[in-house]
Amino acid sequence: MSGFDEHDYEELGLVAGLEIHQQLDTETKLFCGCPTERREPDDAVQEITRYLHPTRSELGELDAAAIEESRVSRRFSYLAYDTTCLVEADDEPPHRIDDEAIEVALEIASLLSMRPVDTARIMRKIVVDGSNTSGFQRSSLLATGGEIDTENGPVGIEDLLLEEESAARIEETDEGTRYGLDRLGIPLVEIGTAPDIRSPSQAREAAATIGMLLRSTRSVKRGLGTIRQDVNVSIADGARVEIKGVQALDDIDDIVRNEVARQQTLLDVREELDERDASVGEPTDVSDVFDDTDSGVIAGALGAGGRAMAVCLRGFDGLVGKELQPDRRLGTEFADHARRHGAGGVFHTDELPAYGISDTEVEALREAVDAGEDDAVALVADDPETAETAIEAVAERARTAIDGVPEETRGANAEGTTQYLRPLPGAARMYPETDVPPVPLDFGEIEPPEVLTETVDRFEKLGLDRGLAEQVAYGRRVEAFERAIDMGIDPALAARTVESTTTELRRDGVPVENLDDGDFEGVFSLVANEGLPNEGVPEVLRALANDPELSASEAAEQAGVGATGESEVRETVAEVVERNEAQVREEGMGAFSGLMGEAMGALRGKADGEVVSDALREEISQRTE
Amino acid sequence: MESASGADSGPKPGDRVRVERDEDTYEGVFLPSSTAESVVLKLDGGYNVAVSRANASVAVLEGGAYDVESAQDVSEGSASSEITFDADLPTVSLISTGGTIASTIDYRTGAVTARFDAEDVLRAVPDLAGRANYRGRVVANVLSENMTPAIWQELARAVYEEIEAGTDGIVVMHGTDTMQFSAAALAFCLSLPVPVVFTGSQRSADRPSSDNVINAVCAVEAAKAACAEALVCMHASESDDQCALHRGTRVRKNHTSRRDAFETVGRKPLGHVTYDDEGISVDFHREHAERGACDLKIAPELETDVELLKFTPGTDSALLDACAGKAGLVLEGTGLGHVHTDWIPRIAELVDSGTTIAMTSGCIDGRVCDRVYDTGRDLLDAGVIEAEDTLPGTAKVKLMWALANAEEPKALMGTSLAGECTTRSTPWA
Repeated sequence: MSGFDEHDYEELGLVAGLEIHQQLDTETKLFCGCPTERREPDDAVQEITRYLHPTRSELGELDAAAIEESRVSRRFSYLAYDTTCLVEADDEPPHRIDDEAIEVALEIASLLSMRPVDTARIMRKIVVDGSNTSGFQRSSLLATGGEIDTENGPVGIEDLLLEEESAARIEETDEGTRYGLDRLGIPLVEIGTAPDIRSPSQAREAAATIGMLLRSTRSVKRGLGTIRQDVNVSIADGARVEIKGVQALDDIDDIVRNEVARQQTLLDVREELDERDASVGEPTDVSDVFDDTDSGVIAGALGAGGRAMAVCLRGFDGLVGKELQPDRRLGTEFADHARRHGAGGVFHTDELPAYGISDTEVEALREAVDAGEDDAVALVADDPETAETAIEAVAERARTAIDGVPEETRGANAEGTTQYLRPLPGAARMYPETDVPPVPLDFGEIEPPEVLTETVDRFEKLGLDRGLAEQVAYGRRVEAFERAIDMGIDPALAARTVESTTTELRRDGVPVENLDDGDFEGVFSLVANEGLPNEGVPEVLRALANDPELSASEAAEQAGVGATGESEVRETVAEVVERNEAQVREEGMGAFSGLMGEAMGALRGKADGEVVSDALREEISQRTE
Repeated sequence: MESASGADSGPKPGDRVRVERDEDTYEGVFLPSSTAESVVLKLDGGYNVAVSRANASVAVLEGGAYDVESAQDVSEGSASSEITFDADLPTVSLISTGGTIASTIDYRTGAVTARFDAEDVLRAVPDLAGRANYRGRVVANVLSENMTPAIWQELARAVYEEIEAGTDGIVVMHGTDTMQFSAAALAFCLSLPVPVVFTGSQRSADRPSSDNVINAVCAVEAAKAACAEALVCMHASESDDQCALHRGTRVRKNHTSRRDAFETVGRKPLGHVTYDDEGISVDFHREHAERGACDLKIAPELETDVELLKFTPGTDSALLDACAGKAGLVLEGTGLGHVHTDWIPRIAELVDSGTTIAMTSGCIDGRVCDRVYDTGRDLLDAGVIEAEDTLPGTAKVKLMWALANAEEPKALMGTSLAGECTTRSTPWA
């Protein structure tokens, strides 16, 4: 079904929108003074356990997603680090909102042609999956009404939100989910497009354009997980489905294609179910059917005092096994819902007999729920409470299949497919954050930064070819490159240094991640002012990467590439001799050792001793001749 | 339906409105936090946005789309509001004085205020259901910084009446700022045959992470337990796994915001309530007054003309002058219990004119001893009484009670009435 061209998508009534989440690379977190630094779980200094309880919005409503989440799991643990504080632990009120984050967000807004609101009101967005210690994410609407261009027409930008990043999930334990507090509170910009996107490729193009504009600020985090895309997709007669957490830009068009196909197939299923006058029965305890079963899963559950619960899906025969996405069937969607309620999975008659369940047992199962030939049966075996809630969730999902496509939040899988996460959240999850007063956005005129595509053009004019110009402009070391150009370094050398030289050093096993913009600046300064030959650059960088404590000139010395040029040495030595002219006249070469010390001191150890002594000897002999 | 900006005939809270200004258009629910200067509305996505009324036009799209007033009243339409009686369960009285355990946001001011009565607490904390039969009572609805000795007295009378009526234990919901003072006041005013457990929350009840649920549940369990004292039940650590039970006269709020702000000074807490998925258990580790060991008595009179004065280098002696004529004065001195030697003659004058003056220490932990240095001896000669290891705040409450109830108040200040001071310093016990 992925062979549609753009025209087909228009015919299907595809409507898609994007939500792009981008971490900002600010000095501190959004509501406290902690650094925006990620940590390893091993570095944790404390672990805290907490429970969360859903609360009402100021309009008196409870959020559907929050209620479902709170039924699933309520106990969470959090790892605290020496780079986190009581604010992340929800044991201290938030500090004032970070000005740097607002400024970067407003820069982004200007790049997206958006207009800022008068006053930022901080809201609490209820999230009780534990990813926020407070039970809510602080979020504020900063700007509205923007637009970007794509090949297939403009895409509106509805809103720009500045919010706090959630805590990162580390692992599931028997006691609940464990999160790290290091990521919690990093400023995060969320950009929501209007539902103007009409094809998978346009979705990808819009995401790429927004990503490019975000990077143009040079103030966003880079690397895995620092930018996440959510995609909202619906087709005519289908439903709005929010797909969370698409990590790679390249996956976006596949995700949209697969979701369109899923909704198409669900509509086909609905038509078929409608023809068959399908319905869903009441869950029934069928434990007796499996008294002597060879199925390990069912025997295990029953042996531990559990139950086997089944529901008759009238008119569903053959449809439960229908593939909706690559390797994901309607039955897989049933299983997603069962798992949300703690069950291991679902058996259904479209795939039975199998998994140790015999033909006879299938027959007995059909009989127990009064299932006919056209009917399917779904089955869950688990502890009594789980089995009961899980089979009810399966029945509910089956009923929705009769109506068509359910509105829901889904999570992106690695292979371009999606799975059910939770109901769509509503406005009921939002209420005001009373701990942070509203912030007037009187930051004056925000100067929009140069857009990266313009940066590429500018670099091209410096003489770089298009490919290298792009590489440098989109690369991590663009600031170092700009600094080099300001110093008058040959653009080709500067580009080669920040891109290919570092790549070669990395291949050599040099820890180039230790090199910051300051290191590059230091090396370029040696080239510009101290006569460091171009060939010496890789060696100085190597020394700097291996020992980040060194200054550039110390590294140059260590690398043996003579940081101080001979002319400077001669100049300094001449000054020293000049100062001590009387002594030189009187003692001749006898003055050498004293003056040598003075000269070395004047050069602060930057020069090779042999070069200095040669120069000094020459200078003295000239004066005494 | 168009109305001029700021006109009286304009939108009401709960109306669905459209606000247009320059190029911007916003649609949403008109909120009560709107002012004469700006319109505040909740957009469909849930975000609130404020638009300056200048140059803006506001049109009502749908009147009364939301009932904002009743939405904020949790008592309406909540299924869990029915309170059932179970003869097998003990009875616990829930007394409300206000505070964040039972507070919600005031959307007019945007600040957190107390607005629930005790029964609302049951609705707000459904986890309390099935642990006891509850009697609800509201003594006050104040933030704890607004607490007064007069309310302590009302609270003492309410507790007395509840116990007379046969309750098995009492939970007092109280703001945390001055909880320790109210707990101490009740410890002095009442002779208790059942527990009186103070609890509250450090993180307001309107957030999913509030400590109110666990504190309230643990307090109810403590109120059913065997320790008949005025206790404070609050988080024992930053985790939601345990509450500590502190003696009301020995507890102090030692942190502005942490869940485990309350600590028993100089000793371990009397006990703990352990909270986990498996269940809840109450354990006492130290000697305490047993349930039923004494008869219910009340002596609620307080001499409120008592001041607590903290001395630090440079404190203006005019503050001491301002205490002339007071019935009582508790000094929070330095170290073992000292003030600047220049103060001593003035202190002697105050004592001579009838002010009872007790010495405590700004060290907070440890015992006052004014017999070691000359300054101390001079203070004793001036007539200052040592309050032993009584906490300064507790000493103030105690002096209020002693001046109103004892024939020899001075003699009481160094003697334990409700566990507030000891004769032996045993921090390891």
